[in-house]
Amino acid sequence: MSDAAVVLKDVVKRFGGFVAVDHISLEIGSGEIFGFLGPNGAGKSTTIRMLCGLLRPSSGQGWVNGLDVVSQSEKIKSSLGYMSQRFSLYDDLRIEENMAFFGGIYGLDSAACETRIREVLALIGLAERRRSLTRELPTGLKQRLALGCALLHRPPIIFLDEPTSGVDPGTRRNFWDLIYTLADEEVTVFVTTHYMEEAEYCNRIGLIDHGQLIALGSPAELKSKHLAGMIYEIATDHVLAAAETLAPVEGVLDAAVFGRALHVRMKQGIDAPSYLPAFLNSSGLLVNSIRPIEPTLEDVFVALVGHKAGQPS
Amino acid sequence: MQMMFLRVKVLLVKEIIQALRDPRLRFLVFIPPLLQLVAFGYAANLDLKNIPIALYDEDNTPVSRELAFAFASSGYFKFVETIQRPEEMATLIDRGQVSAVLHLGPDLAARVGSGRSALVQVIVAGTNSNTASLVQSYSLQIIERFNRARLKKRLDDNPPLRKIIPAGSQGIVQAEVRVWYNTELLSRNFYVPGIIALVIMVSVLNLTAMAVVREKEVGTMEQIMVTPIRPFEFILGKTIPFALIGILQVALVSSVGVFWFGVPMRGSVALLFVALLIYLLSFLSLGLFISTISRNQQQALITTFFFTFPIILLSGFIFPIANMPPVIQWVTYVNPLRYFLVIIRDIFLKGSGLSILWPQMVALLTISLCVMVLAVRRVNKTLD
Amino acid sequence: MSIRRIKALTKKEFIQMSRDIRSLMGALFNPLLMIFLFGYALSLDVDRIPTVVLDFDGTPVSREFTHRLTDSRYFTLVRYLERDRDVDSSLTRGEALMALVIPRDFASKVKQGIQAPIQVVFDGSDSNTATIALGYLKAVAAGFDIALQEQRIRRAGLRMVDMPLEARVRVWFNPELKSKNFIIPGLTGVIMMAICSVMTALSVSREKETGTLEQLISTPITSLELLLGKLLPYLAVGLVDLALVVGAAVLVFDVPFRGSYLNLFITSLIFLIGSLSWGLFVSVVAKSQIQASQISVISAFLPSFLLSGFIYPIENMPVVLQALTFIVPARYFVEILKGLFLQGVGLTVLWPQVLALVVYAVLVLNLARKRFTKRIL
Repeated sequence: MSDAAVVLKDVVKRFGGFVAVDHISLEIGSGEIFGFLGPNGAGKSTTIRMLCGLLRPSSGQGWVNGLDVVSQSEKIKSSLGYMSQRFSLYDDLRIEENMAFFGGIYGLDSAACETRIREVLALIGLAERRRSLTRELPTGLKQRLALGCALLHRPPIIFLDEPTSGVDPGTRRNFWDLIYTLADEEVTVFVTTHYMEEAEYCNRIGLIDHGQLIALGSPAELKSKHLAGMIYEIATDHVLAAAETLAPVEGVLDAAVFGRALHVRMKQGIDAPSYLPAFLNSSGLLVNSIRPIEPTLEDVFVALVGHKAGQPS
Repeated sequence: MQMMFLRVKVLLVKEIIQALRDPRLRFLVFIPPLLQLVAFGYAANLDLKNIPIALYDEDNTPVSRELAFAFASSGYFKFVETIQRPEEMATLIDRGQVSAVLHLGPDLAARVGSGRSALVQVIVAGTNSNTASLVQSYSLQIIERFNRARLKKRLDDNPPLRKIIPAGSQGIVQAEVRVWYNTELLSRNFYVPGIIALVIMVSVLNLTAMAVVREKEVGTMEQIMVTPIRPFEFILGKTIPFALIGILQVALVSSVGVFWFGVPMRGSVALLFVALLIYLLSFLSLGLFISTISRNQQQALITTFFFTFPIILLSGFIFPIANMPPVIQWVTYVNPLRYFLVIIRDIFLKGSGLSILWPQMVALLTISLCVMVLAVRRVNKTLD
Repeated sequence: MSIRRIKALTKKEFIQMSRDIRSLMGALFNPLLMIFLFGYALSLDVDRIPTVVLDFDGTPVSREFTHRLTDSRYFTLVRYLERDRDVDSSLTRGEALMALVIPRDFASKVKQGIQAPIQVVFDGSDSNTATIALGYLKAVAAGFDIALQEQRIRRAGLRMVDMPLEARVRVWFNPELKSKNFIIPGLTGVIMMAICSVMTALSVSREKETGTLEQLISTPITSLELLLGKLLPYLAVGLVDLALVVGAAVLVFDVPFRGSYLNLFITSLIFLIGSLSWGLFVSVVAKSQIQASQISVISAFLPSFLLSGFIYPIENMPVVLQALTFIVPARYFVEILKGLFLQGVGLTVLWPQVLALVVYAVLVLNLARKRFTKRIL
C-alpha cells in the first residue's frame, strides 16, 4: 500500500434507492490539507463518516493510514481525530472536563493527559477559560474546543466536517491559523466545507456534487484548468434580469449572480467590456461598471456544475 | 379570532404529523395500553383458590381424616404435601411450597369422641398477608362447618340437651346473600375500568411532559417563540393532540374490555366521555406544568414519576382509601384519579348517572380547572 | 478491554449526574417517598367495611347480632336505615359496601330455635373486599349461633358442651399480619427495577438526540466499555437508593430483617446490573428519549409491578402469564427480598433465584452490546 494517508477507491454509499456517494476515488498524501468542497447534500459528510468507520460503504474500498475502513473500522478510530458537523461535545461539562474525558477515551493516563490538556489549551487559546461550562461558550470557541478534543491523542490525521459553519470570516481565519500550525507538524487534515474561501486555504481540493467527484487538484490548478476564458464582474441594478439576458449570448460561457453583481465568463479572446454593456443597455438594463476579476473557486464550480456551491442545483 | 384558530391549527397539524410519522410512536400509542389491559385483566387477581397447604396429621383416625377431607374438598385448599415430623413444617414454609400447614394433634378423635374440645392448628405463612387473611377466613369457615355437624351429632346423642336445642336448629342464623353489579365477584370487572383510567393517565402525562420539554431541549422552542403565536394557543396546539390520543386509547381499551373480557357497560357513554375530557384536562395540565419546571427530558420523566406513583397508590385503585390514616385520606381528596375511578366503575358496573355521580364530577372539574390555571400561568411566565 | 476508557466514561457520567441535581434527587428520593407512602398509608388488609343496617325487628336479639357484626374490626356501621328502598340508594351511592337486612320475626324465630334468615346485600363492584367480607360475615354469624346455643344450654342448667374443635390460627413470620411487612420488601424490588431501567433508558438515547453519540462512537471505545461505563454510575446510585430504602424499612417501619446484609448486597448488585442493562438495551434500541421512556415503562415498570408476585399471586395467573413471569427479574428479586427480610433464609435456599438473576444480567448485557453498533448505519 502506498504511504498515502487516505485512499478511496470507487467508493459508493447508498441509502435505500438514494446514491449519496457515487464512485469516488482519490488519494491524499501525508501532511496534506485536503478540502472537500460542495453544496449541502453533495455527499461530503457521508464520505467523511465512511473514512472514520462510522458508515459502511455499500461498495468500493478505502484505507486510512493503511488501515481498511471496512474490516478495520474500529482500529482506525485510535489513529484519527474527528470533528462532526453538529457540535457534539457535552454542554454540561466544563472545557477541561470535556478534554479530560476524551483524553481518557483515547488512552492517555492522567499525568500525560493533564500535560497534553495544557498544551492543547494553549494551542487553541482557551487556557484561561478551562473551567468554563461548555454551554456558555460562543460558537467559535466551541469549534476550537471540538478541534482541541480531536487532537489530544496526537493523531496523524484529523477529519473536520464543516468545522466553521455559522461563524464570521474573521473567526474562520483564526481557526485556519490553527490548522496551519497542525500542518506544520505533519498532521494530515481532511476538511469538508461549502465555503469557497475555506477551500482556498487547502493544498488540494475535491469538488463534489451529487455524490460525484467532479474535479480534483490544487485551487490554482482547478482555476487554470477549468476556467477557460476570462471572468468579468458587471455591476448592475438588475442582476437577475441581466443574467438571464446574457446567458444565451454568443461568446458567453456562463453568467451567474454574485450578490449584487454578475460574474460573466467569456470565451478567450473576446473583449467583453467593449460590447457587453452596450448590449445590456439596449435591453433596458443599466450597467454601472464592468471589470475583469481574478477567478475564484466559486467560478470554477459554476463552470463545472452550472450552479453555485452554496446552493443546491 | 380567526388568526388564533389558524395558528392553533397549524401547530396541531405539525404535532400530529410528527407523531404519526414515527412508526415507533404509533406503536407506542396503542400497544402499551392494550398490553396493560390484558396483563391486568388476567394477572391482577386477588381471589384465591387451591391454596397449597400441607397436612400434618398426628391422629390418623377417621375423624381426623374427615376434617382433612373437609379442607381438601372445600375448593379453597389443595394438599400438596403430607408431613410426618414437625421439622418438616419449617422447611416447607421456608421454601414457599405451602402457604399453611394444617396440624391435627394425636388425640383429636379421642377428645372429640369423649365430648371434650380438641385443638386444631393452622399455621399460616405470613409472608403474604392477603393470602394469610384469606387462609384464616376460609379455615375458620371450614372448621365452623365441621363443628356444627359434630355438635349436631353430639346433641342428637344427648337427649336432655336435644330437648333444649331441637334438631334443625343448628345454624340458626341463615344468611341469604345477594351480590349486586358483579354477581360472580369477578376481579376483572373491578380492575378493567380502573385500568382504563390508569393507562391513559400515565401515557398522557408522560407524553405531554416530555414532548413539550423536548422542544426546549432540541431548540425548536425558540423558533416557535419568535412567531406571533400566543402562549395560550401554543398550549392548545400542544395538548390537543395528546387529548386525542388519550381518547383513542380509552375507546380502544374499553372496547377490548367490554367485548373481550365481558365487562358490562351499563351506563351512559356520553357521561363517560364528558368525565373523560375533564379527567384528561387535569393530566394534560399537570404534564404541561411539569414541562415548564424541567430543563430537559430526563428531569421531566423523573418528575412525572414523582407524581405518578402517589397518584396511583393513593387513588383507591388497589389499596382501599378507607384503610388509610386520616391525614392521607385528606390528601386523596385532591387526586383526580380517585374521583374518576369511582365515576368509571360506577358507569360501567352500576349504570349510575349524573344524579348519583355529580359530587365526583364537580370535584373532578374543580381540580382539573385549578391545575389548568396553574399550568397556564406558568407557561405564560416562561414564554415571556 | 480498557479500564481507562471505562473510567473516563464513568467519570463523565458522574459529573453530568451531579450537574443535574433535580434528576439525581428524584432518582434517590422517589423510592424513599414510596416507602413512606406504603409504610404509613397503604395496606391491603380488609377491614372496617362500611355497612348499613335495616333492622325491622328491633329487638334485643337483633341488636345483639348487629353489634356483633359492627363491633368486630371487620365492619363499620355507617348508619341505620329506615326503609327498604334505602338499601338500594345506599349501595348505589357508594355509602356502604354491605347492607344487612333483619326481618321482623328474627327474634321470635331465634327463640323458637328455627331457621331465622337474614338478608345481606353486597356491592360486588369491589369484588376483593366483597369476597373477604362474605367470609367474615359467615364467621360472625357462626359465632352468634354458638353463643345462642351456649346460652340455651346454660339456661337449662346443663353443662356446656365443648365445641368439638377449637381452632387456633398461628401465623408464622408475620405475627401481626401487617400488610406493610409483606409489601415493603416486595415494593423495594419493584421500585428499584422501575427507577433503574428508566434512568439508564434515557442515557444512550439522550446522547443520540443531542448528537454527542456520534462523537463517542468515532473514538476507539468499544460497545461493552461504553455500556459498562454508563452502567457503573447508575449502579452506584441504585445501591445508595437501596440502602436508603432498606434503612427506612428497618429503622422507621420496623420491618424485620432477619437475613444477612451481605446476602442483600450481593443479590441487589446482581439484580441492579440486570435491570440497568435492560434500560441500556432499551436506550440503544429507541430512537428518542420519549420512546425510550415509554418502552421502559411498558417493559420494566409494569411487568415488575404486575408480574413479580409482589401484590398479585403468580399462582392465580393464567398459565401463559405465569410463564411470562419467568423472564421478569423483579419476580426473583421479590422472592429473595421476602426471604431475606421475613424468613431470614440464606443462599442455600435462595440460590435458584440468584442464579436466575445472574443469567438474566449476563444475557441482557450481551443483548445490549450486540445491538449497539459503533456505526451510524
